[in-house]
Amino acid sequence: MNYFQLFGLEEKFNLDTERLAQVYQKLQRSVHPDRFAHASSQEQMLAVQKSSMINDAYQSLKNPLKRAEYMLTIRGTEMPNEQASFKDNMFLMRQMELREMLAEVKFADDIDAAIFEATQVLEIEFEGLFKSMQTQLAENTEEANQLASENLRKLKFYQKLHLELDRLEDLLFET
Amino acid sequence: MALLQIAEPGQSTVPHEHRLAVGIDLGTTNSLVASVLSGEATTLKAADGSDVLPSIVSYQNDETLVGDAAKAHAITDPENTIVSAKRLIGRSLADIQAKYPSLPYQFCGDENHPELVTRKGKINPVQVSSEVLSTLRSRAEASLGGELVGAVITVPAYFDDAQRQSTKDAAKLAGLNVLRLLNEPTAAAVAYGLDSGKEGVIAVYDLGGGTFDISILRLNKGVFEVLATGGDSALGGDDFDLAIADYLVEQAGLNRPLSPSLERQLTMQACQAKETLSSAESCEITLELEDGKKWQHELSKETFESLIQKLVAQTLRACRRTLKDAEVTSDDVIEVVMVGGSTRVPLVRKEVESFFKQPPLTSIDPDKVVAIGAAIQADILAGNKPDSEMLLLDVIPLSLGLETMGGLVEKVISRNTTIPVAKAQEFTTFKDGQTAMAIHVLQGERELVDACRSLARFELRNIPPMAAGAAHIRVTFKVDADGLLEVSAMEKSTGVEASIEVKPSFGLDEGQIANMIKDSMANAKEDIQARMLKEQQVEAARVIEAVQSALDSDKALLSNEELAVIESALSTLAEVAKTNATDDIEKQIEVVNQATATFAERRMDSSIRTALSGQSVDKV
Repeated sequence: MNYFQLFGLEEKFNLDTERLAQVYQKLQRSVHPDRFAHASSQEQMLAVQKSSMINDAYQSLKNPLKRAEYMLTIRGTEMPNEQASFKDNMFLMRQMELREMLAEVKFADDIDAAIFEATQVLEIEFEGLFKSMQTQLAENTEEANQLASENLRKLKFYQKLHLELDRLEDLLFET
Repeated sequence: MALLQIAEPGQSTVPHEHRLAVGIDLGTTNSLVASVLSGEATTLKAADGSDVLPSIVSYQNDETLVGDAAKAHAITDPENTIVSAKRLIGRSLADIQAKYPSLPYQFCGDENHPELVTRKGKINPVQVSSEVLSTLRSRAEASLGGELVGAVITVPAYFDDAQRQSTKDAAKLAGLNVLRLLNEPTAAAVAYGLDSGKEGVIAVYDLGGGTFDISILRLNKGVFEVLATGGDSALGGDDFDLAIADYLVEQAGLNRPLSPSLERQLTMQACQAKETLSSAESCEITLELEDGKKWQHELSKETFESLIQKLVAQTLRACRRTLKDAEVTSDDVIEVVMVGGSTRVPLVRKEVESFFKQPPLTSIDPDKVVAIGAAIQADILAGNKPDSEMLLLDVIPLSLGLETMGGLVEKVISRNTTIPVAKAQEFTTFKDGQTAMAIHVLQGERELVDACRSLARFELRNIPPMAAGAAHIRVTFKVDADGLLEVSAMEKSTGVEASIEVKPSFGLDEGQIANMIKDSMANAKEDIQARMLKEQQVEAARVIEAVQSALDSDKALLSNEELAVIESALSTLAEVAKTNATDDIEKQIEVVNQATATFAERRMDSSIRTALSGQSVDKV
């Protein structure tokens, strides 16, 4: 049983997250270890297992990038690992530029404005890649899935940049 | 003790008697016990009418004092009177000494197992906490009139694995059956949430004596889903006291180190000043110096607030980060719950109100709200409220990972993941022909091993020699609903396995606990045996009842033969449980467990199916 089936949901990238949350809570209500605090140790152990699985399933489906990754896994698309060399030179160049942009934020005259601007740049580029991945996942051919997996990898770079920007923001606020 | 009733197999065991269960708030400064009595959660009082028990233990020649009686010795006998043991529990010596350099205790023991030297010998912080828990347990049993089925014990959300495990050990030592370790902010939300029936995002700001926690939760139809939690496990009201004490030392022109008794006097005066300044504009401080002279000083509210401003700002920064982790903003927050005695400080209330742009909830006594929430949860877990819709979905506060080459940490489970959770990750060998692998388990957010908390080390041996990178070592992390971790490692091609309940490297191992229990009993041998027999009999009764009620509702999932096997195992167990044969009871419990394995699995799957089908009916 895959995670979509576990939640009784159609295997689509654009899923109803509201409903996902509802089903999740319903499932946890029936298997969470708290429901078995007074049951036999056998049932307690099973409850921990099932509840863990449902938590994992929920996490995999809730976050869009994780959901994409999970869908590609069940479709059998080979995922290049993170350390594998990236062939897209254009993309790598752009990443270096963006890193430089983040490094310069703290020297800006107006730090708030610089952070705002950097956030905008990251979000616009993220959105673009995200939309193509969305379309490719819907297409669901071997070729489209391959392209989606490459886009997913790029999106993860943006996610990391975003985290770094967050950290930078925290740091600047704290001093 | 009331004897547990066992029904004839095949017969229903209803009606259930009310099971005695309590919630315990094991605090840094004060502890409380509460229980649900005729539908209402209330704190339980000691014989003298007080419900707050100071978390202080004093080791005297002829007796061990706990609470107010121990507090009386705090100044005159500081080395033997342990206050705030919660700040020491599950921590390394280096950790303690860096954080609290002026503690009046003498430490001994090794780096990972610090102990305190008292006139009663070496005492582990776990033992100190267990004395507090024992006192509360006796109080509860006296006031409820029977033996407890179990207790929910609260811990700061920010407690790491070692601190949680040590708390559970302390409970075990005190003879308490832990139904669940519950995060303090979640407990507070339970206490309020059920009262007000709110739905939406709420923030729980918990500033206790020694810890600060901030939790962001989403409430929906009785489900409390913790979205994120953050804070500082070493920041609390005691730090306000320290700030005042440091200021006084400076004003009085004193030079540290001071005598333990003067240090204790300083912190107690500082604490009193803090409390007075919650309602007064200034207060008078009088110290008796080592040369017998008196020193007086007037401390204004303004000075006090300037002393603690930085600490309060530190808590708000944690709030900001945690909101971000929860992916909500302060505008989404519909309610702010205040917990912990330190939230009585007016500056704290003022700053929290301006940060969340709304006045925080303070209607339940901030010192009692945690114990009350824990009691409500205990009542449900004990099975007294089978129809309750309430469910708590908590998270792990700090990421868990493994050391990899170069002293780096690879995260296996990231913080704010809902528990229980199980995650596996594969690693490989670094050298050709490598036959063993050291697994070093860490907790924390930083990337370098040295900046994280080391939880445990163990080795996977007998890996068949292969080329570097050819072995596939699968390491599995399992975190249960108490937030406790278990790690196992397996080489996939050969099935060589090693596993560990993350325990020995910090805190106590099973043997040590057993020894402590033994030491604490006068007639060790008989008592231990009696205790073990009783434990098995209670467990047998629990198993029989659990299986019986499972049969009552889901007998249909079994064939006649399967049913017969279970029923016969059950009636044998009922017979054996009447005897004194501890080992036989244990064996028969295992037989019942084996016989019901498939049944339990089917029941679980059937309830998942029911939950799902209910869902599609809603949709139609």
